[in-house]
Amino acid sequence: MSGGTGASIQGRGITKIFGKGEDAHHALGPIDLDIKPGEFVSLIGPSGCGKSTTMLLVAGLEKASAGVIEIDGTPLTAPLSEVGIVFQDHLLLEFRNAIRNVMLQQEIRRLDKKIMRARADLLFAKLGLTGTENRYPWQLSGGMRQRVSIARALVHEPTMLLMDEPFGALDAISRTQIRHDLEMLWLETRKTVLFITHSIEEAVGLSDRVLVMSNSPGRIVDDIRIDLPRPRPAHLGDYPDFAQYAQRVYGTFEKLGVYRFK
Amino acid sequence: MTGLLKKIYEPALWFAGLLVLWEVLVWAFQVQSFVLPAPSEFLVRIVEDYERLLVQGAITSKLIVYGFVAGALPGVVLGYLIASFRMCERLLYPLVVFIQGLPKITLAPLLLVWFGFSDFPKILLTSLITFFPVLVDSVAGFKSMDHRHYYLSRSMGASWWQTFRLFQLPSAAQNIFSGFKITIVIAVTVVIVVEWLNSNNGLGYVVLRAMDANDTPLIFAVLVVASTIGVLMNYGIVVLESILLPWRRSGEDNA
Repeated sequence: MSGGTGASIQGRGITKIFGKGEDAHHALGPIDLDIKPGEFVSLIGPSGCGKSTTMLLVAGLEKASAGVIEIDGTPLTAPLSEVGIVFQDHLLLEFRNAIRNVMLQQEIRRLDKKIMRARADLLFAKLGLTGTENRYPWQLSGGMRQRVSIARALVHEPTMLLMDEPFGALDAISRTQIRHDLEMLWLETRKTVLFITHSIEEAVGLSDRVLVMSNSPGRIVDDIRIDLPRPRPAHLGDYPDFAQYAQRVYGTFEKLGVYRFK
Repeated sequence: MTGLLKKIYEPALWFAGLLVLWEVLVWAFQVQSFVLPAPSEFLVRIVEDYERLLVQGAITSKLIVYGFVAGALPGVVLGYLIASFRMCERLLYPLVVFIQGLPKITLAPLLLVWFGFSDFPKILLTSLITFFPVLVDSVAGFKSMDHRHYYLSRSMGASWWQTFRLFQLPSAAQNIFSGFKITIVIAVTVVIVVEWLNSNNGLGYVVLRAMDANDTPLIFAVLVVASTIGVLMNYGIVVLESILLPWRRSGEDNA
């Protein structure tokens, strides 16, 4: 199955309008998505442009007001099960220790306990979490908590990983390390990743493709293929091309009026 | 262990000091026993009357537990419904707020008229009064859950029961227990007041008889017994909490 474990995401005319009548707020779209199995795609855009909404729509957790989303060719009608989600906040359950937070997936999905525990242990090892199994969330650092939350999103081996600004609450140093660790995990398993971020560096540093979104109602205004070798280094400035990619995103934001530098 | 010892002996020492001061003042000013008895007097009284106090205390304690359970459990259930379903909130909350504003202890005579000389009106009134604080804390507890936890539980395919058991109830538990701890002490007061109004047994009744007989030391003796019951019940809830919510206990150990 290796190489084929990622799901494809196809969306046509995805639109989200919150509320009705005069209170209606056109939050998103219409946008099209075309994400290949195993691709790492970032959505970058200003606050409130509908990035998070896009992620919830792809997960089947919110209903689109218009348009169709197909996962592996099947139209989405219910919450997607073969998915792992990581939010900006770790959202670990404070009353469960690290390993039991991860094993929540096993409990709810009623999967085999031994197999799942072995997978969880492996993920803990790869994410540098070995030894923290019995610690409660409040006993872990912010970076550790987010690593546990990534383990929780992967332990059931979903075909897709949805991440909503997962490193947004971390300091710059942790962020660089966790970015690398995520890239290494992804290189191994090649799940489809939809990664939502505010950070141009993160988007360019991690992705195969960066989709740039406009102000609300968000539309996709640029689609940039990132051809940088992997795994990518801590200091992305080592690549001369990095600056060009980043410049292209900055340029788009300036054109859209997201940035108004004088 | 030394920490625990320190926790106990410091307040105990302070408390004993107050009692000694009381004793000395009563003796120095020759205060009459039916106005304010010396601690030695009513403490001795507890020893002398221990059998009666124990029997009546047990009767009162039973009513406290029944009334508390009969009020707290519906409080948690309704709290869940109000927090989870917009419709329940719209229909029930105004009523709840209205009844909460009502000084419920004034219902005591009415309940006694309706239900007479049995335990039922006492339990009913206690449950009515314990119900509301628990309800309010339960609503707050169930509402405190981050809505993104629902996204997670739905993407995991959790059933209603799994969502309740694994996400909602543990999230709300801390608030619910702080409601319990406050409410159990209120329940002690309510039961004694109702017994005092109309009863032929229980600690409230003992107080009533003591007043008739100008037996102030006995009133103080009951006071000591009643507050001991309150403290023990509160402690019982704390122990229950540390068993049911072990993550809190481990939290305190390492803090």
